Amino acid sequence: MLIVVDPSSGVPVFRQVMDQVRFHIASGLLQAGDELPPTRSLSAELGVNPMTISKAYNLLERDGVLDRRPGRPLVVAEMEPADLDLEKVNQLQSALGEAVRAARQLDIDPEEALQIFGDLLENEEKED
Amino acid sequence: MNVLALSDIHRSFHPGVPVLNGVDLGVDAGEVVGLLGRNGAGKTTLIHIAMGMLQQHEGTVEVFGLDPHRQPVEVKRRVGFVSENQNLPAFLRVREVIELHRGLFDSWDDDMAQRLIERFELRMGARIKTLSKGQARQVALLCALCHRPELLLLDEPAGGLDALARREFLEASIHAMSDTGTAIVYSSHYLSDVERLAGRVVMLHDTKVLIDNSIDELHESFSIALVPHRPQGTSDALLALPECLGVRVRSDAVHAVFRLDPDDARALITQKLGVSDSVCRTAGLEEMFIEIAGGER
Repeated sequence: MLIVVDPSSGVPVFRQVMDQVRFHIASGLLQAGDELPPTRSLSAELGVNPMTISKAYNLLERDGVLDRRPGRPLVVAEMEPADLDLEKVNQLQSALGEAVRAARQLDIDPEEALQIFGDLLENEEKED
Repeated sequence: MNVLALSDIHRSFHPGVPVLNGVDLGVDAGEVVGLLGRNGAGKTTLIHIAMGMLQQHEGTVEVFGLDPHRQPVEVKRRVGFVSENQNLPAFLRVREVIELHRGLFDSWDDDMAQRLIERFELRMGARIKTLSKGQARQVALLCALCHRPELLLLDEPAGGLDALARREFLEASIHAMSDTGTAIVYSSHYLSDVERLAGRVVMLHDTKVLIDNSIDELHESFSIALVPHRPQGTSDALLALPECLGVRVRSDAVHAVFRLDPDDARALITQKLGVSDSVCRTAGLEEMFIEIAGGER
């Protein structure tokens, strides 16, 4: 599983880890029952405070994304297909958060912003 | 429980020129605190006071509830210390330096020492004076970690090390943290290292603690605002806001750091200054540091 953090990005590292785990689940790279790396080894590999990793894991567990059983490795929780779809929507929403802030600060009205998003999607499809 | 409790610390080196002027810092077991500040801001002074190497002029210091000045041996037994300017005995060999420390501490962990010797690829027969900066610092870290201290004081430990040596130093400290729950106070100019390691950031500025927040709060609940120059007096108006930590006038705009998230900062600027075209965003530690350290307040 690929997790990359940029501690200087201004986004808390625990959130970067959470977002990437959720993204990998939504995209199907991580599936129900797949094991996550232990806190200790992931924190050493990423070179970050172990508390940061446990914070990310705990919040993901609270959200029902990960499943922790005593004495077993942490795994991706079983999810209903509807929840997985919802997760995809969540992913897109969080990716668009930045764009929404920019639109607000630039005073671009919602209709125009929608139009821009639509155009971008269309162009991307043409390129593919 | 506080492993370190500094309260109302005052210290100067020249009469009338305080370096620390009423500084409070409490550190809990297992906490990692990044200590920031410009050169001369008093980071080293504060760490030396915590170690009992320097006495404060006013205020109290407690390490595990003990006074490091009155009970230096009891305190040092439970504290690890690495600094950029630390001198290990130059003519001793690595093995002898390690043996020396091993003899001083009942709590010495031979397994940990062996693991670090292998990890750092230390040449046990080499004399300290022949080691590179990075290797010497690794020996110092080994000596500081292997007696399993409850508190580790790192004063610019990565100074002069290359990127890989810094990363290895960081990883070894991280392992120690997860193994023994050691609390760490860590001063560094490498702000991305601080962002990796620290759970909490304390910034010394103008002889006082300017910021004491969790790293997550700094990333999410602080912001940098870029405010257009016109009208006149913009920077003074920003400085007058209690949530504003510092202002720097640049050619593009007035840059201001706020103890508010971007939406709230922008709303406040609109409301108080009547300026609606400011741009506010969150920022990494380095950018925030430069804006505060290089600005006025």
